[in-house]
Amino acid sequence: MVDFSRVQKELQECNRDINVSGISVNPKSDNLTNLIGTIPGPTGTPYEGGTFKIDIDLPDGYPFEPPKMKFATKVWHPNISSQSGAICLDILKDQWSPALTLKTALLSIQALLSAPEPDDPQDAVVAQQYLKDYQTFASTARYWTESFAKTSSLGVEEKVQKLVEMGFPEALVRSTLEVVGGDENMALEKLCSG
Amino acid sequence: MQPMDSDHDPLFRYTFSVYSHDQVYYDDAYAGDDDGVDVDEATDDSNVLINRANSTSEKSYLILKEDDLLRRQEEDITKVFSVLSITRDSACMILLRYNWSVSNVHEAWFEDEAKVRALVGLLEVDPAVKFPKSGDQIVDCGICFESISKRDTATCGCDHIFCKTCWKAYVCTSIDDGPGCLTLRCPEPSCAAAVGPDMVNVLAPDNKKKRYARFLLSSYIESNKKIKWCPGPGCDYAVEFDDDFEAGNYDVSCLCKYTFCWKCMEDAHRPLGCETVAKWVLKNTTEAENTNWILAYTKPCPKCKRSIEKNHGCMHMTCRPPCGYEFCWLCLGPYLGHDGRACNRYTNSQKGGELPEAEQQRELAKKAIQRYTHYYERWAANEKSRKQALSDMNKIENTDLKTLSTNYCQPETQLQFILDAWLQIVECRRVLKWTYAYGYYIPKKEEAKKSFFEYVQGEAESGLERLHLCAEKELQSYITNEESEATEDNFNNFRVKLAGLTSVTRSYFENLVRALENGLSEVDDHGSDPGGSSTKVRGRARGGESSSLGGGDGAKRVRMLMRLGMDDGVGGESSGGDYLDDDDDYED
Repeated sequence: MVDFSRVQKELQECNRDINVSGISVNPKSDNLTNLIGTIPGPTGTPYEGGTFKIDIDLPDGYPFEPPKMKFATKVWHPNISSQSGAICLDILKDQWSPALTLKTALLSIQALLSAPEPDDPQDAVVAQQYLKDYQTFASTARYWTESFAKTSSLGVEEKVQKLVEMGFPEALVRSTLEVVGGDENMALEKLCSG
Repeated sequence: MQPMDSDHDPLFRYTFSVYSHDQVYYDDAYAGDDDGVDVDEATDDSNVLINRANSTSEKSYLILKEDDLLRRQEEDITKVFSVLSITRDSACMILLRYNWSVSNVHEAWFEDEAKVRALVGLLEVDPAVKFPKSGDQIVDCGICFESISKRDTATCGCDHIFCKTCWKAYVCTSIDDGPGCLTLRCPEPSCAAAVGPDMVNVLAPDNKKKRYARFLLSSYIESNKKIKWCPGPGCDYAVEFDDDFEAGNYDVSCLCKYTFCWKCMEDAHRPLGCETVAKWVLKNTTEAENTNWILAYTKPCPKCKRSIEKNHGCMHMTCRPPCGYEFCWLCLGPYLGHDGRACNRYTNSQKGGELPEAEQQRELAKKAIQRYTHYYERWAANEKSRKQALSDMNKIENTDLKTLSTNYCQPETQLQFILDAWLQIVECRRVLKWTYAYGYYIPKKEEAKKSFFEYVQGEAESGLERLHLCAEKELQSYITNEESEATEDNFNNFRVKLAGLTSVTRSYFENLVRALENGLSEVDDHGSDPGGSSTKVRGRARGGESSSLGGGDGAKRVRMLMRLGMDDGVGGESSGGDYLDDDDDYED
């Protein structure tokens, strides 16, 4: 049986310093075994500015068994499946310890975003790209962050529409947006200069 | 059981004479006295001889029971903690880290104790601090985050405090998870302090402690290169094998009756080598499913013989090009002129048509499968028969022996000959099984070897059938005790017969195994030996049978038969050495 008293304490503790860490954990429903965690994309990475949602399932043995976590937000990263969001991280498997918490696990995931380990990949395509063509990797990751992890900013379609209205051909607008990682202003600059 | 025609079968005549010799031996011993005491001796005597015959191959290994293993493990632990002046549990943990090598532990410890301690996660603390007995001080558990008084907590001797409830769950989860629990550390990820048997003993319930102890013992065995667990299902014994033993025989017979090869851990496979067995087993796993499936679900095209699976549609089949033959799926007759009702009548089996020459290649492939299937079916059938014999034997041992013991007023110890016979059947089935894999791998070009092999294999098979029949059917009549013939006298005759058959079959198979292990080298030698005539003469002289045989092939047979049948088992003196000496005789 999940130790709910501990989970309650964890939620309180985690949400207390949400302003500092930016990490939050909230129940998905009334049931404390399904939770949603959110982590901000680390600054100085292609994930900067994005907010990533993580699905958390607590197994019966929690906290003596690791929580099951996967990305609910699509993300382009060598250790995270671009299809399913599955995360390849040791502390979520054999290195889990009951002295760790949901918050420390989420912090570790945030650290993983900053420091990918392409030699132990979850998504082989992404890992290959990361190793062989970092530039393309970074811009794709940025584009995915832009497209999927930013709820507040404009959606991709809106940006395309805006630029097309300025008189650029749609195909060119789309490819340019992808190259610059979805940044509207950078795309405009590039379109004007090129 | 095949009818025996001794006039045309030199081997049979020979084995028969051995058999009669046995009978004489037993008869003599038995007829010597009527008061049963001597019967005892005769039977016991044969047992001893059996044991002696087996003992040559048993010297190389030792079956170890759990108690033996635990004692050895404890001895090693004692050696370490008495020298290092540490607790027993600490010694245990260090040994675990050093693969249970006492000398390595001593060496490492006296070189750098601190290094060993760090490696193992062994803190230099009084074991008492791990479970504080007193103290009302309130602390927070690092797992459940509850506040508890210090006496309800435990630590690995480090600073990380957790409540006993959480500790229990932590230790139990880890034990459930597998042998990784042996290297369990403090729950705090940054702390390397080890959780040893001392803590497990306090924190875990009995069933988990048992599991933990089992892992500990397993690790002891797995790190010992000379000891392996018996792979028999549900068997708790381990087998120590003497590495220096170099006869190439790794077959081990565990006390659980499971026999296996100590080297490759497959079922015992003499006379085959481990490599051939691996090849065969691999072939079976990759092909058995295919072969069986083809046998079960397909029919061959009546014209080109290619296997066809019908998965849907009507009965009007058209074979794939280039064959294109149209036929009825039900009767396999030509569809031309088949009016759809032509095959509902029951008829005798159809005749197979002649094969068109154009399909040669396909035919070859098919033959390869057929050839493999031939050997595989017989291999599998003998394995099945072996398993059945094993369960029959268990039944006899557990129930029928009591019945017999009452019926014939004999102690069960006197009925050992029945179990001996069954043990022999099980062993023979095993050997026979592997001879089929052996036969499969005889190169095609070695025709002489192949036909000779098939001959001795056939003899072995019929000899075994004879024994199996006697041990099964004849024994049954004494168990049910219904027939008037099931008298005490007849039972004693039955004893003599079965024991005789057992011993003859044993020696035949032992020699067969040796001959196959030598790769039937005689056939090679004499097939290419132009001076083989002298051999023939010798063969005749020894066998005294060759007048009924014509040609060199026959002489070879006699020679081989002599070897296979010659050692009468009762003497128990036969050995590989004798066999080789004989060999020299012949080759000179």
